[in-house]
Amino acid sequence: MATGGGQQARPTRPSSFSRVSSSSFSPASSSSTSTSLPPGVRIGANGAAFVSSGIPDLDRILGGGFLVRSVVMVMEDADAPHHLLLLRNFMSQGIVHGQSVLFAGPTKEPRSFLGTLPSPVVQKEGLKIKHDVSDVQDKEKGLRIAWQYKKYFGELTAVDSHNRDKKQEYSSDFDLRKPLERQLLNSQNIECISTQDAFDLSKLQNHCLTFVSKLSLKDGINSNAGRIAIQSLCAPQCGYFEKDWDMLSFIRSLRATVQSSNAVAVITFPASVLSNSISKRWQHLADTLLSVRAIPDEDKDLAKLLTGYQDMLGFLHVHKVAQFNSQVPVILDASTYSLKLQKRKSLVLERLNQAPVEGSSGVSYATSGSCSSSKGSLLDF
Amino acid sequence: MAEGLIVRSLRDGSLPGEHAPALCLEDSLPSPLASHSHAVFRHLLASLLSTGTGTAVVLVAFHRSPSFYLSLLSPTFRNSIRLLDCYSDPLAWKSNHHPPPSSHSPQNITLLTNLNHLPHFLSSILHLAKDLGAQGHDRVTVAIDSVTHMLRHAPLPSVLQLLTNLRCHEKISSLFWLIHTDLHEPKVISSFEYISTMIASLQPIVQLPDYANANISASITSLEENYSNAKFNVRLKRRNGRVKLLCEELLIEQGSVKFSSVPSVSSVVAQNLIPKVQFNIQLSDKERMDRANVVLPFEHQGNGQNIEIYDGRRSLSESQKDPSSIKIGGLSEQKRGNNNKSEKGEIHYIRDSDDEQPDSDEDPDDDLDI
Repeated sequence: MATGGGQQARPTRPSSFSRVSSSSFSPASSSSTSTSLPPGVRIGANGAAFVSSGIPDLDRILGGGFLVRSVVMVMEDADAPHHLLLLRNFMSQGIVHGQSVLFAGPTKEPRSFLGTLPSPVVQKEGLKIKHDVSDVQDKEKGLRIAWQYKKYFGELTAVDSHNRDKKQEYSSDFDLRKPLERQLLNSQNIECISTQDAFDLSKLQNHCLTFVSKLSLKDGINSNAGRIAIQSLCAPQCGYFEKDWDMLSFIRSLRATVQSSNAVAVITFPASVLSNSISKRWQHLADTLLSVRAIPDEDKDLAKLLTGYQDMLGFLHVHKVAQFNSQVPVILDASTYSLKLQKRKSLVLERLNQAPVEGSSGVSYATSGSCSSSKGSLLDF
Repeated sequence: MAEGLIVRSLRDGSLPGEHAPALCLEDSLPSPLASHSHAVFRHLLASLLSTGTGTAVVLVAFHRSPSFYLSLLSPTFRNSIRLLDCYSDPLAWKSNHHPPPSSHSPQNITLLTNLNHLPHFLSSILHLAKDLGAQGHDRVTVAIDSVTHMLRHAPLPSVLQLLTNLRCHEKISSLFWLIHTDLHEPKVISSFEYISTMIASLQPIVQLPDYANANISASITSLEENYSNAKFNVRLKRRNGRVKLLCEELLIEQGSVKFSSVPSVSSVVAQNLIPKVQFNIQLSDKERMDRANVVLPFEHQGNGQNIEIYDGRRSLSESQKDPSSIKIGGLSEQKRGNNNKSEKGEIHYIRDSDDEQPDSDEDPDDDLDI
């Protein structure tokens, strides 16, 4: 009996140095290899490293966050600026963790975009700790464990609270109403580039290469993770807009650059201004593909169909999720989420819920809609 | 209402910190009335000018001569408009051969010949805008007769850069232009829609079927309708990130444009958007508490007595005391056994047949002896 019990509780003996993911059954090898990861990076399933996207809900949906060494693409909607929300959270998370950030935008003054970055929500420290302690005590009361197993569970709860602290650090909630502090923005590892007047992408390409090489110059193992954020890469007002193949080869070289370093690249692009075939090629180059969609205002049909329609900003659709070291594809149970502002400050993603169907009409909009949705655009739900 | 919204938005201009609102007016061949889109353009121009003394317009004329525009306006408004003449000599043929006449051209027309060089173009527009600003007009709107003509002379990215720069400039409060959708590739049209905040398009009332297969007589009557009316679709990008879709009917009578609202057209957009929605089967905290507080009918006596949950075994023992109630076929209410039900909920137990043993109807596990 004792050995059987020992077998069951064996899987975790995490060392206090490593930051193991919160699932307690991680393989023993991961706890021994990682000494200390750079700030803001977490090891997840299959030994892959993740950085947070800045939106805790999105991290959860994508299975941990954005994969380091991957390229994330966001397809913009020409009618709404929601992709900027994703970019802002991504960049703020990087700055808060002290990671290097490179930003490229199609405006004359990309530095002014930094002024719109949100600052993290500050939680009261005392409340947080009290919550952890009382939680542990409740757990002990509720769970009447045999005495010989208590020693293992004690460790688990300690790890949990330890992980909860780490989890808070890994991905913060951002208050979109408060701008990020000035001194954080003035640090040396934030670069901004304008892509508006460029006639080709070679300058941007060189910038990315130098940025990434700077990352690995700091101590070999513990090199800081870097974030590259490119806004509206194929914006029609940029000088290189007509050069489709040049843009594609830039993305390919960016992928190669990012794969050989500790960086994550997020690129947003308005898919509607590209021709169909080129847009498909862009989408195939992405490791993780998201798209944002605007919703019509004061639409009675949509208000009847969905609950919480008034609070929604837009839709976020997850097309592709990156996988590392695994052949198993990620299948999400819901791929469309609504973007909402919780308490008007932080961004949350919620699944779409159907409003109760009225008894008199009895027509379910979902059935009538699904037939005609096939004639929709590329963003096929 | 749609037209009113557009004019108001163009007149109000932008909030500080925002780019100027830009209207993209589109037309297409399927709607013959759309060839009158120029009339809509002129109508917008006139409404803007007539709204007050504060608004002034810099008109870039490609399609019609500047004197045509001036003749449309009453003399009171001629001071609040400046025209950039790109119609008379776009390719600089005349000015190359004959020096330009020491112009007796009216004060508010400026001839522009070098259309390839867009920075020069931009500076001429801004110069005119400053002129108007100096005259006391605080809101200057730039109207471009047709962007289609501009694209003949300059490549797409530079035209878009020009429009974006105009939007950013502090002297310009709003901007609108006309574009013919049939003459450009779809991605060109979508690029213009990308940089604009309002998109108005003229579409036929009746979608004409393919001519080869259609019945001739039917198509002629529908053609006639298309000649008199058109659908005016407006898509507004609002500040909260949502899109407002409006649809109105357009009538052109004797050169004047009339807008009338159409009975509500169900938006096709919603149908394209319907994703996989689910019913929300999670309970919120309040709902959970309410559920815990509900007392089910069989749980109470109806008058505040203790909650006694009906237990199958108890009824058996009690009903054995009065076996007559069970053996009677027909309606036997088992009042003793079930007296812990309220008046609201009653179970009427109707036996199937008389010769069934009493035990078989009751709890079949009763014969188990644990």
